Amino acid sequence: MDFILNFLDVFLFFGLLVLGFSVGRWKERRHYKSIREREAKYANILAFAVRYPPDVVTPQDCQLVAGSVVISSDYFKQIVAGLRTLIGGKLSSYESLLDRARREATLRMKEQAQRFGATLVINVKVESTTVSGGTRRGLPAMEVIAYGTALKPRVSPTTQA
Amino acid sequence: MVRLQHHQQSQDKRVYLQYENRQPDETVNYNREHPLKEFAWLFFGLLGVVLVGAMVLGFFGGEIAARVPFSVEKDYARRINEHWENKPRDVEGEAVRAALRELAAKLAAVMNLPQGMSVDVHYSPEGIANAFATLGGNVVFYRGLLEKFDSEDAVALVMAHEIAHAKLRHPAASLGRGIAVGLTLSLVSAAVGERAAGGVLQTAGTLPLLKYSRDQESDADTEALAALAAVYGHVGGARDAFGVMAKLGGGDTPRGPQVNILRTHPLTADRIAAVDRMAAERGWRADGERTPLPLALAKLKLKAAQPAKEIPAPER
Repeated sequence: MDFILNFLDVFLFFGLLVLGFSVGRWKERRHYKSIREREAKYANILAFAVRYPPDVVTPQDCQLVAGSVVISSDYFKQIVAGLRTLIGGKLSSYESLLDRARREATLRMKEQAQRFGATLVINVKVESTTVSGGTRRGLPAMEVIAYGTALKPRVSPTTQA
Repeated sequence: MVRLQHHQQSQDKRVYLQYENRQPDETVNYNREHPLKEFAWLFFGLLGVVLVGAMVLGFFGGEIAARVPFSVEKDYARRINEHWENKPRDVEGEAVRAALRELAAKLAAVMNLPQGMSVDVHYSPEGIANAFATLGGNVVFYRGLLEKFDSEDAVALVMAHEIAHAKLRHPAASLGRGIAVGLTLSLVSAAVGERAAGGVLQTAGTLPLLKYSRDQESDADTEALAALAAVYGHVGGARDAFGVMAKLGGGDTPRGPQVNILRTHPLTADRIAAVDRMAAERGWRADGERTPLPLALAKLKLKAAQPAKEIPAPER
């Protein structure tokens, strides 16, 4: 007992590390599985970074669609990133985190576009920002937002030239 | 696959454009290497750097501090000296202190203290079973330890051990090491930016300090044995003293694993083995007649052996 108390910080560190790694990895795998499934599901909704609609497109109704996600790092990723900042290099522990966040945000945007009835989103932009929790270094959490203009072919009689 | 195709008239040419969304290529944007691999490289690499760094810094910090003139150290430790000197003492405390100082003088005479170095012995009537040497040649004995010894030889071993710490400038070296390593570790742990991870690095960084501490204890033991042999003609007191320490737990953690690398002092069993080895090497007599305790210390022991007087229950 004394031994554990003397080295409490060491035990705490490795305990949190194991928790962060195992749960974080399990959640990441589950998230990627869900992302791939939904990417297939929303494959009929096209999303492009082009600024203007292709000229074959008939008169359209437009709507701004956005999808945003706030995603947090786990303890393990945070530690690896903290160690990495000492010597520099690719922060690969955060790469998969942000990849998930971008794809999730894009999927949420597509979901909104689908509800609108659109099959095409143009001028798509993706932005990210850190979430500051008021702590000294901020939370290891990020918001990623994807937004664009959803186009829906107009069906009302006013579209007749 | 959904595609959007159209032809665009661009000047005279017709440009064929085809839009489609594919599933993203998952080999581009993030690393698929096992994350534990990166962690192992970074963590154990940093741990190694911290260990080696602490060892090097500890070495130089200690060496530099031990080269500071003793007079400077003494001046710096003025407050420590005043603290112990000015503590109120009863007649018993006065007598014990005088006896300890007499013993210290006897031992210091054979210990070749460097020019200008003096040792101030203090006595504290607290029940803590400990004695220590600190900056400025101040050595403190607690009642809790003194009343455990049966002979002057055993007290002399502890006294000589503490004087040896002062002679070898161990308190100054430890302080120098502590500052050099402590400052650097606090910078590194702040750079990692996570409290528990910083704590682990701090703990790792103190391991080399513990190694230095154990080496100091062994060196002080060696000096003390030589003094004991010179004054009493044998080193039997060392066995007695280490026997008492073993009973007390002598710095050994009473519970939990007895791991040498996590301790400030060598294991008591190892210290006793070192006494036998050194006595054989240097031709000291391992045993001999013990010198009785000085009167003041004998009284202390007697008082401790008496059962505590029962306090009568208050009348109702």
